[in-house]
Amino acid sequence: MTVRGHRQLTLTLIGLLAMATGAIAQQEIVSHPLELSFPELDFQPPNGVALRHALGAGTVAYVVEDHALPLVNISILIRNGEYTVPSMLKPAVANLAGSQMRAGGTASLSPAELDEELDFLAAQVATSIGSTSGRANMNCLVKDLDRCLDMFFEILRQPRYDQERLDLAKSQRLQQMSQRNDDTGGIEQREWKRLLYGDSHFSTHATTEAELNAITRDDLLVYHAYAVHPGNFIFAISGDVQTEEILDQIKARLSDWPTAEIAGSVPSPDVKPQPGLYLVHKEDVNQGRVSIGHLSSVIGNPDRFALQIMNNILGGGGFTSRILSRVRSDEGLAYSAGSVFELGTHYDGSFRAFFQSRSETVAHAARIVIDEINHMRTEKVSDEELTNAKASFIDTFSRNFASAGQIAGLFANLELQGRDIDLVSTYRDEMARVTASDVLRVAQEYLHPDQLVILAVGNIDDILAGDPDNVAFSLEAMASVGNITHIALPDPMTMEYVEH
Amino acid sequence: MRQFIVILALLLCVTSGALAQQVQPVVHVLGNGMTVLLVPRPGDPNISAGWIARVGSVNEHPGITGVAHLFEHMMFKGTNTIGTIDAAEDRRIIQHLDELRARIRKHEQELLSQQRVGKIDDWRDPEHRTQAHQDLLKKFENALGEQRRLIIKDDFDRIYTSEGGSGMNAGTDYDFTVYFINVPANKLELWFWMESDRLMNPVFREFYSERNVVHEERRLRTDSTPTGLLDEQFDAMFWESSPYSWPVVGWPSDLYGLTREEALEFFDVNYAPNNISAALVGGFDPEEAIALAERYFGRIPRGEHEPEPVRTWEVKQQGEKRMIGYADTNPKVRVRYHGVADGHVDEPALLVLGQLLSGRTGRLFKSLVEEQGIATSVSGGQHGRKWAGYFEIQGTAKQGHSPEEVESSIYAELEKLKTQPVPDDELQKVKNQNAAAEFRRLQSSFGLLLQLLIAEGYRGWETINTTGPELQAVSAEDIRRVANTYFVPEARAVAIYYRNQGSEPEDPRLAGLDDQERQQINMIRQQLAKATAAQLNEMRQQLAQMTGQATQIPEENQDMFQLVVELISKRIEELAGGQE
Repeated sequence: MTVRGHRQLTLTLIGLLAMATGAIAQQEIVSHPLELSFPELDFQPPNGVALRHALGAGTVAYVVEDHALPLVNISILIRNGEYTVPSMLKPAVANLAGSQMRAGGTASLSPAELDEELDFLAAQVATSIGSTSGRANMNCLVKDLDRCLDMFFEILRQPRYDQERLDLAKSQRLQQMSQRNDDTGGIEQREWKRLLYGDSHFSTHATTEAELNAITRDDLLVYHAYAVHPGNFIFAISGDVQTEEILDQIKARLSDWPTAEIAGSVPSPDVKPQPGLYLVHKEDVNQGRVSIGHLSSVIGNPDRFALQIMNNILGGGGFTSRILSRVRSDEGLAYSAGSVFELGTHYDGSFRAFFQSRSETVAHAARIVIDEINHMRTEKVSDEELTNAKASFIDTFSRNFASAGQIAGLFANLELQGRDIDLVSTYRDEMARVTASDVLRVAQEYLHPDQLVILAVGNIDDILAGDPDNVAFSLEAMASVGNITHIALPDPMTMEYVEH
Repeated sequence: MRQFIVILALLLCVTSGALAQQVQPVVHVLGNGMTVLLVPRPGDPNISAGWIARVGSVNEHPGITGVAHLFEHMMFKGTNTIGTIDAAEDRRIIQHLDELRARIRKHEQELLSQQRVGKIDDWRDPEHRTQAHQDLLKKFENALGEQRRLIIKDDFDRIYTSEGGSGMNAGTDYDFTVYFINVPANKLELWFWMESDRLMNPVFREFYSERNVVHEERRLRTDSTPTGLLDEQFDAMFWESSPYSWPVVGWPSDLYGLTREEALEFFDVNYAPNNISAALVGGFDPEEAIALAERYFGRIPRGEHEPEPVRTWEVKQQGEKRMIGYADTNPKVRVRYHGVADGHVDEPALLVLGQLLSGRTGRLFKSLVEEQGIATSVSGGQHGRKWAGYFEIQGTAKQGHSPEEVESSIYAELEKLKTQPVPDDELQKVKNQNAAAEFRRLQSSFGLLLQLLIAEGYRGWETINTTGPELQAVSAEDIRRVANTYFVPEARAVAIYYRNQGSEPEDPRLAGLDDQERQQINMIRQQLAKATAAQLNEMRQQLAQMTGQATQIPEENQDMFQLVVELISKRIEELAGGQE
């Protein structure tokens, strides 16, 4: 045995180990890994209730101490988002108000001064407001905690919304908007949401050049006052802190900050998706991207455990799932393929099976995917599939708690979604209870082969022409009730769609 | 949870004074040459586990480009034990498939030679196949069908998944190939069983259908992304003799031609234990891990030949190279200089220099995005690969500005670094960030695993401790020196990407111009961007002279003329600070 090491400690340790090692090394090696036996893994998830602290006025904090490294991480989840923009403002204001908190300086620091000081202290601060929630993050060395907290709270409470930085952000956004039709992945994502939730729902609104240009600094200030205040905050704090000390520091900074209106509920879409085949043509690509599916359900659904296992077997479980196994391993038709059964927090999420395949073989791969969706509803899954799917959730459960930051973030997210934080203690038992009959029942109840929306983005001429080596497959034949729609790419700046 | 974090702190020793934090794994080298690195974090319910083979696309040669990556895919296809219900019959069919494939290849070569001389358009079109060719394809399909009855689909993945393994994947790079997974802390032995088995007895089943999967991966990552093909060609242009000139995923023609025998040959040389390092980070007992390593990895025989260093060095570039491309992308510029390999004595200074240029308070953003308003994003940095390296800066032009303007402003910033020493506080800012990064990188077990493995892929795990202090030691004079040494035009390659005409309404003022005029306009823009306030008077005189001759300009050149006048007027306005 040769040893390489720089430190005496390591060398001694290895010396001691070598003696114990000999015996184990000579044991027999079993002929198949399933013959191995393993010790029990004793893992209990942390108790969320013990980590939770109410700070008054609806503000909640989760604190997880971790003194291994001299770092502090503070995340604030903000209830609010594009859905709550008051009617006199343009929807894009939420997004800009979020990012410009950090980018636009504060009452006492110009944008450049703020940037320089944070960078000099090697502190990382980011703010954003998205569709249904916002987020502010701070990560700093514990030695700089006081100063960083001061700056962090000034960013949140007194953003300067510097005009020049706003202009810069708007010009950068315009430039990003001009790329909206460049990448087929982006097109697919956008059109899929439109097909499921319609054009009028806030979640599918695409900001136009005119809307963006019309946003003023005053709009940001109005939205900020309305949306960003302690009543909408959930803190996730982790790292080298003492719980009581950090909570006192936070409370001191919140004490004279009055709470305004607490964010209301998120509106649901008011349209029903129309099944059919939707085609978006893009000339210069040799691969088609395809999404197939329909609406799913909401996160509070008591069937959620069976649904997760059902989707895991269908297409969510990677190589062990049916879609990837057939489309990729059997036929070599795609590099990536699978399915997602996403349960919505506020309204029905989306069930989407997907793949990317060269234009000629798109129809062949789509046929396989649709067959597999049907198959889930007609036959019980095998015991082996069920066992593997359960294990993939139960035995990996501990990975959700791999760091202090993950633990604090997980509980804060449950709180944001208005869910019971005690869910983590029953999760594995609930998953273990799911039977093959449950999986069949939820497949029949929640998968709807007669309501499939099929979206293909790519060179539609080549895709419809099909594969000369395999002429049996036609995408058009798969469109239920013969509904075939060509969607022309919109002007990326006005987002106006022209009827074909 | 708390317990394992606290003990971790004891294993990491904080050096006095500086903020640097050392990682000290237990290091064990097996008799067959394989290195095993262990970072125990007692109490952690998970283990991040992986290994790296010091082989990548740089070890390929023309004809087999892409084999390192295809090989990585094949490593998930099973072994003599995993993935089949009848290993002997499976082997027989694989051999039969290889023979059929060799015969099919002859037909394909015939078609390829017809395509080469222009008799046919696409050798893959079934119309051109002879009956014998079709019959062979049919036989091949049938043999595949036979094999499929023996295959346990994705068995390797299934076994890990059923035991709680997660995040299993692998990655192929120019210089290395890395395999990793997370397993529950009680399943350490499973990892040793599975990984040693596939290193000892891999069977490349489904080789030919996996080749198609890789084709799809190439379409996904390269062909169907806006700048994928241009980026690939820029690499091919930049590297002259170095094997870095071809893409990791391989050239399409090679992907069609690769055979299973070639992959096996590649395996024998490059996947011997003496070319591999493994690492574990998480909840395990190091004593037990060493015993398991001896028992499982120790049984793999050392390779017959030591892997050889890459022989072909990059030749010295003789003059600036330029490439113009059109794509569905906002106009951008890439400026790349030949530089230094990983571990070169000048690398720390070039890394710090890249940090000075990049980020929100970096020089490029402040100058090009904020002050001049000609770019929407710009950044750069040092890329040291194992055998050679480069320094690259990329910038995207703001609408109404050209990539050429961005390019000349990049050069202006580089000139400053060559002539003026970097102020102390600016240098200190970067050093503070590097010191904090020494802690941040240790936050995740999986992140630490990858750092250890990738360092082993280059010069050894120790470098994750030595790089930090090297960065802290960089001086302003070092920065000035390396800027002068490496940022010279003859070592430079530049790519300019314009937006595909027709894919986006362009600057309406360019609409009436022909290609030559457009190029002239871009050159004028570039020159104007370089102009300084000292040249204001000169520019005003020139403008007055031009407008005086306006009536003498022929009708067909009026568009061009008006645009030039407009550009010069605007630049004068900018330089005069709005007082014009």
